[in-house]
Amino acid sequence: MSKNIILYGAILIFGIAAPFIFPAFKVQLSILCILIILAITWNVQGGEMGYNTFGNILFYGLGMYLCASVQVGMFFPLGEWTEGGGEKTFVHTPAQFFQGFAVGLAVAAVVPAIIAGLIGYSILGLRGHYFAICTLGLGVAAGEISGGIEIIGAGQGFTTPPFPNVDRLEARGEFFYFCSFIVLVFTFLAVKAIYSTRFKLVLNAIRDNEDKAEAMGIQTMKYKIIGWMISAFFCGLAGGIMGGLVGYIDSTDVAFDGREMGVFMVLMAILGGKGTLWGPVIGATLFHIFKEGFWTFFLGWQYVALGVLIVVIVIYFPEGIMGWLREKYPERFGEVVDEADRKAQVTLK
Amino acid sequence: MKIKNIIITFVSAIAILFSTSVVSLAKVVGDKIILGAAISLTGKYSSNGVHTQNGYNMAVDRINDMGGIKVGGKTYKFDIIYYDDESNPKRAAQLAERLISQDGVEFMLGPYSSGLTKAIAPVTEKYGVPMVEANGASRSLFTKGYKYLFAVLAPANLYLDVAIETAVELNGGKGVRIAQAFEQDAFSQDVRLGILDAAERTGSKIIIDDKLPKELNDMAATLAKVKAVKPDVLVVSGHTKGALTAIRQIAEMKVDVPMLAMTHCDAAKLSKQHGKNSQYALCASQWHKTLTYKDDFFKDGMTYAADFEKLFGYDPPYQSAESSAALLVFKDAFERANSFDQKKVRDALADTNMQTFYGNIKFAEGGQNVDKPMVLFQVMCDDSGKCENKVVAPLKWASAELIHPIPKWSER
Repeated sequence: MSKNIILYGAILIFGIAAPFIFPAFKVQLSILCILIILAITWNVQGGEMGYNTFGNILFYGLGMYLCASVQVGMFFPLGEWTEGGGEKTFVHTPAQFFQGFAVGLAVAAVVPAIIAGLIGYSILGLRGHYFAICTLGLGVAAGEISGGIEIIGAGQGFTTPPFPNVDRLEARGEFFYFCSFIVLVFTFLAVKAIYSTRFKLVLNAIRDNEDKAEAMGIQTMKYKIIGWMISAFFCGLAGGIMGGLVGYIDSTDVAFDGREMGVFMVLMAILGGKGTLWGPVIGATLFHIFKEGFWTFFLGWQYVALGVLIVVIVIYFPEGIMGWLREKYPERFGEVVDEADRKAQVTLK
Repeated sequence: MKIKNIIITFVSAIAILFSTSVVSLAKVVGDKIILGAAISLTGKYSSNGVHTQNGYNMAVDRINDMGGIKVGGKTYKFDIIYYDDESNPKRAAQLAERLISQDGVEFMLGPYSSGLTKAIAPVTEKYGVPMVEANGASRSLFTKGYKYLFAVLAPANLYLDVAIETAVELNGGKGVRIAQAFEQDAFSQDVRLGILDAAERTGSKIIIDDKLPKELNDMAATLAKVKAVKPDVLVVSGHTKGALTAIRQIAEMKVDVPMLAMTHCDAAKLSKQHGKNSQYALCASQWHKTLTYKDDFFKDGMTYAADFEKLFGYDPPYQSAESSAALLVFKDAFERANSFDQKKVRDALADTNMQTFYGNIKFAEGGQNVDKPMVLFQVMCDDSGKCENKVVAPLKWASAELIHPIPKWSER
């Protein structure tokens, strides 16, 4: 146990020190935190529950719009802020900015969770491919619909309140980094806590055989909805922070970005290993490093390189990095291996 | 527990990777002034991104070949670091941050499109990095009080209001009935605002006001309505894809409308791709090669067009011309500031008052160019099917007379 504490302590210290050790990488580090949050929350459905959702992007985008709208709307008329692409410009004082952002984040977390609960009842009744396709549609529809709502800027996009003028140039980067890092720690601990309860076993039971789980008296729908609400809560938070970080919300390219973020979150979880706690964290980190590397060194070919990476993942690591490690070194995952039995299997093949 | 060791190794590996990949470039290395630019090399704006990049590159080579930039008695040359923003605002904002804080760039060139410029401007503004942009025309860029943003182009709301005014004039001063369809993006929506203003001013009525999706491949629904209600003017704007889709489907569906006003005809190479089908389309343009502006580097529009064609194999759309002009503005500002201090360069930029082959450049308080009117050209084809863009308005530069109304498809 003490080893665990040392490890978590080390990561925490690294996380806190990171923006000061690598001051030039604050934005990338913030985005890394966001990516990890998305991967972890996707894993709750895709990994533990066996429901491959493409719909989590809906909560992320909702969070983004809600946070920015509340931040503006608390102090100024939102319609005038976004009108005509933002003709009138209001300036937030530092106090207004931070208060607005805090309230905005709270709304960005709670509302998506409620919406997940409401739509979950009907959508989570679908299974397998049907569920995946339905959720894919959710993200696309949300992008198109939000692109037509005038009060949030419609096709013009929504410029989020600029960071207030404080004397330190680094303040903005540090603020958003620590926001995302804190939310990441919070998400990780929450999911870890949930995974140590019966709840995870129920989710696994749903994944392995939903009908049997139901036959055993588990109210599967209830658990599926709660699981989705938890994901939505954290996705909304991640979206809210990302909106502030990017500074400009576009309906399909930034908020309901199913083509990129929506796919990336699945990819990261699979790369790291579905159905593990650390898998999404490792997957997201590696993915982000690869992506940034490709963008620097294979300019113009980055998507080809990314495609090759995906093919390699699918062929060589279908179970993800954690899955691969687990197969290779099962004893390190606390599995007892009977050497004789293992050898017998090898000779049989 | 070994797995934890793996994780620890992994974390330290990332740390090493991050620390080794820090490239430290200063703004001016040796005799090079390094500018940064995020350009859409992939994604939905990729064709216009390439037009922009070609414009930048051509101007860099030309300025370097003709003696470079003289600052403090020393001669410098331009160099540009490019990144691909994938036509995505989120990516563009990240890249701006990266260019400034990692690559140490202290002067920026703009990306393609208003949306991406909107995403980058807050970043350059925060760091006080002067940015001369050539492809972000949305009016809202210039009302935000940005001090370090300079645009060599006229704002988007002015793109097509000349067309509406012309239509009203031809209608004997009476308001016209307008059908319009715009892509859901910052630029096109701004063009729309311009039309709304013009309509109100001239007492015209908007009878169709459609929004087109970003992945613009079909606008048949709008065109079916146009066929039914027969408006006097049809306005379409949606970057290159919008122009191509509109012409393709108007020809397919044989939609008759007296005036068709669009944007991005030259960027889409309409006259080449759709030949006679694109005939009579009226297009807003920031520049046309027949305009009579002059400078020392590119001489005039015709010479620029010929040189450009030699290098890249196609007629330069205005996106390339305005991008080239951005470099001329930077050169001029550096020499006047006689310094690489960002504040001084910014002040020099604000005082810019020059003529380039692309047009006069003088920045208003908000950073937009106020000294250069838009032009309208019409695609005109001869009997052999060879099509050309000819300027029809304003009259000062007109090389042909506007053909109005557009003949019906049955008579073509």
